[in-house]
Amino acid sequence: MKFTLINNIQDDKAMSLILKGFLVFILLYLISDMLVMNSNFGISIESVNTTLFGDEDEYIDPLNEAAFLEFWHTQIFFIMMILLTLNTIFIRVAKRSRNTLTNLLMISALTSLIFLPLAFYTSASFVALYIITFFIWHIVAIYMIFYSFWKLNAKSI
Amino acid sequence: MQKAYKLSILYYILFTLLLVSSAIILFEHKIGFSFTSVLEYYIGNEEKFIPSQSSLGILKIVLPHIFVFGLISMVLLHFIVFTNHRYKKATLSLVYLTFITAILEIFTPILIVNGLEFFAYIKLLSFFLFLIFIIYISWLLFYSITYD
Repeated sequence: MKFTLINNIQDDKAMSLILKGFLVFILLYLISDMLVMNSNFGISIESVNTTLFGDEDEYIDPLNEAAFLEFWHTQIFFIMMILLTLNTIFIRVAKRSRNTLTNLLMISALTSLIFLPLAFYTSASFVALYIITFFIWHIVAIYMIFYSFWKLNAKSI
Repeated sequence: MQKAYKLSILYYILFTLLLVSSAIILFEHKIGFSFTSVLEYYIGNEEKFIPSQSSLGILKIVLPHIFVFGLISMVLLHFIVFTNHRYKKATLSLVYLTFITAILEIFTPILIVNGLEFFAYIKLLSFFLFLIFIIYISWLLFYSITYD
C-alpha cells in the first residue's frame, strides 16, 4: 500500500503503471466472475432459485448445505480482498464522492453476502435482493476501476 | 489517517467478521466442535461410513488456507501499525500468537491422521484461538479508528 503515501502518483510513472495493470486485472476478475457465476450459480432470479432449491421438472437436485457454505465462505474472502484493494486505489485518486461510493460499494457487497444465506436458509424471496445487490456492487466496482484509470492518466492528482 | 481510509478499514472489519461467522458455521457443519467429531472427520469411522483422510488429501484442502490465513493476518495486523498500538510490546506478542495459532490450525490435521490423536484438541483450541485473535485485532482497529 506504498502508493497511499506518494504525493503525486502521476509523477511516479512506475507506480502509476503498476496500479493501472492491477486495475485491469480487477476488471478482468469482475467480468470473469459474472461469466462464471452466470454459468455455475446463476445471476437471474430463476437460475439462482434453481441452483439453490433444485427443479423437479428438470431433475435438478438442490445445492447441499456443505457445498453452499463452502461457496459462501470463498465468496466472502475474495470479495473482501478485491474490494479493499480497489477501494484503496479509488480513495487515493478520487476527490469527490469517495465516501458515498465507498459506502455504496461496501454496503451492497455486504448485504449481497448476507442475503445469500438468508435466501438459502429462510426464504427464496431474498434471492431477488441478492441479485440486485450483486449487480449494484459489480457496477460500482467497474465504475471505480474506470474512474481510477482515468484519474491515473490525468495531469495531477 | 484520512477519513475515507478509516471507512474502508471499518468495512474490511465487517467483512472479516462475516468471514469468521461463515468459518464457524462451516466448521460446525463439516467437522463439529467435539474431540470425537474432529477425530472421526480425519481418521474416519467405519460404523458411520465416514472415510479416513490421507495426509495428501488434507494438504489439498489446506493449500488455499495457508495463503488465506497468512494474508488475512498480515492485512489486519499491518493496520495496527497505523494506530497507537504500534509501540506496545503486547502488539508483538499478538503478531506471534496470531501466526502461530494459524499454523497450528492448518497443520494439526496432518498430525492427527498420522496417529497423534491428542492434536484433535489442539486443532479445536487453535481454531478458536485464531478466530479470537482475529476478532480482538478487529476490535483494536475499530476502537482506534473510532475513538483515537
